[in-house]
Amino acid sequence: MKRYMRLHRIFIVQYLKKLMEYKADFLLGAFGLLIAQAVQILFIGIIFSGIPDLKGFSFAEVLFIYGFSLIPKSIDHLFFDNLWMVGYRIVRKGDFDKYLTRPINTLYHVLVENFCVDAFGEMLTCILLLGYAIPRLHLPFYWYTIPLLLVTVIFATMIYTSLKIMTAAISFWTKASGHITHMLYMTNDFSKYPVTIYNKTVQTVITYVIPFAFTAYYPASYFLTGEYGLFCIGGTVIAGSVLFLIAIFVWNRGLRAYESAGS
Amino acid sequence: MSRIRRFFKTYSPFTRAGMQELVAYRANFICFFIGEIMSAFVMFFVWKAVFLSSGSETFMGFTMEDMVVYLFISFLTDYMTYSDGAFAVGEEIIDGSIAMRMIRPCSLEMCFLFQELGSRLVSAAMIFAPMVIGVEVYRFVITGALRFHIVSFLFYILSTMIAYMINFYFNVIYGFMAFFFKNLWGTSLMKETLVGFLSGGTIPLAFLPAGLAAVLNWLPFASLRYTPIMIYMGMYSTGEILWRMGLQVFWLLAMMGISKLVWNSAVKRLAIQGG
Repeated sequence: MKRYMRLHRIFIVQYLKKLMEYKADFLLGAFGLLIAQAVQILFIGIIFSGIPDLKGFSFAEVLFIYGFSLIPKSIDHLFFDNLWMVGYRIVRKGDFDKYLTRPINTLYHVLVENFCVDAFGEMLTCILLLGYAIPRLHLPFYWYTIPLLLVTVIFATMIYTSLKIMTAAISFWTKASGHITHMLYMTNDFSKYPVTIYNKTVQTVITYVIPFAFTAYYPASYFLTGEYGLFCIGGTVIAGSVLFLIAIFVWNRGLRAYESAGS
Repeated sequence: MSRIRRFFKTYSPFTRAGMQELVAYRANFICFFIGEIMSAFVMFFVWKAVFLSSGSETFMGFTMEDMVVYLFISFLTDYMTYSDGAFAVGEEIIDGSIAMRMIRPCSLEMCFLFQELGSRLVSAAMIFAPMVIGVEVYRFVITGALRFHIVSFLFYILSTMIAYMINFYFNVIYGFMAFFFKNLWGTSLMKETLVGFLSGGTIPLAFLPAGLAAVLNWLPFASLRYTPIMIYMGMYSTGEILWRMGLQVFWLLAMMGISKLVWNSAVKRLAIQGG
């Protein structure tokens, strides 16, 4: 474990060196994400100029949920972006052999190899949104709110990462699976808004099938109201752990099926 | 006449190649399509909630039915006019393979254009009719009357084609710019979002403050998406359709001119290492 922690640090330091080489690109990437989020928020702002509330949610509450959805999303984006490359390129080009020859766990190596600083754009938006929303809301606060938040964020991030691991592992059988990852990942768009605005089918899907609702709306609504803690936080923990176990299982099965693409 | 025939004979193999490429990777295409259309459905539910919460039939002059047509036709127009073929120019400059293209007896941008037209044709065949029919059936169920207008529809198709050409040349220009930056993902995300917003993709331009909307209506971005959608929805009178499409043609010519200029100055400085 200690060895792995040390390795992770070395990987990040290596990556930061690479980054200093391309400062302008880093700024562009982060700025691009910042702009992408800013346009969405402008959209929410324009909507709210015409209505007092969105199905009972005030402007600040909607921004809080939106901001909350960016926490696990940006953490996953920052640390585990390399999984996209497995499905898009690494397996198809035969580059995956590299990981098999190293004396560390393959999944761990793939996860920590890259460090996607573009995600700082999302993180900045997230901080600005929560910084705007929280003082305008009367959030219930107890001694356990902060530790509970940390636990929730960890498991919510696991939902994102596990879905990416699972779909990336499909490429061990099919050589390329980036498009499948993309299809499932895009479902997270639904988690940005209160799930009560969707119809029953969509609600069921994003709660029980692809549980992105547990990365944002459910935990966020608990921190807003302090109600339904067991379902909102417990659900996140269960969804995160179950998906992670399945992901590990699929990944390991995939490794056994893996044949190099050769060249 | 024979020159035209020769022109098509030269470039039609590129179109065929583009078609074959898309058909070969149709699973990818379908998965990407599903992933992308998800955001249109998110917007659908958001607008539904907005109309419920506002308590009135219209929101800034749009009914819910208008909004649904706007959302999905906007998505369709964006998909039809999508262009990234010329984006490869930047990559080819970096790795030097552009040299091979330059010694061929055909125009560089025409090769890209005809290849991309092939993939556009196949994707149009797959999604165009289902989406238009879907939108019209929705309208029919909601309003109980057939709102489909064949004249508007034909103008829409024409306008979308011009929009595609504008987007193509816009991306040729952008492709040249992009080769200065290596973070293609970041810059293209920024470009897509800004163009999406300025062309009315996120929100109809009519919802924006009047001054801003007036300016955006004149910029080339409105020609990319907003003009075709408004034509489809029958929001423009015949006179307005004609001058809007005139503006589209103007921007198309402007983009073609600029791309020529950028290409000429780039080609002078182009140095290819190795190869």
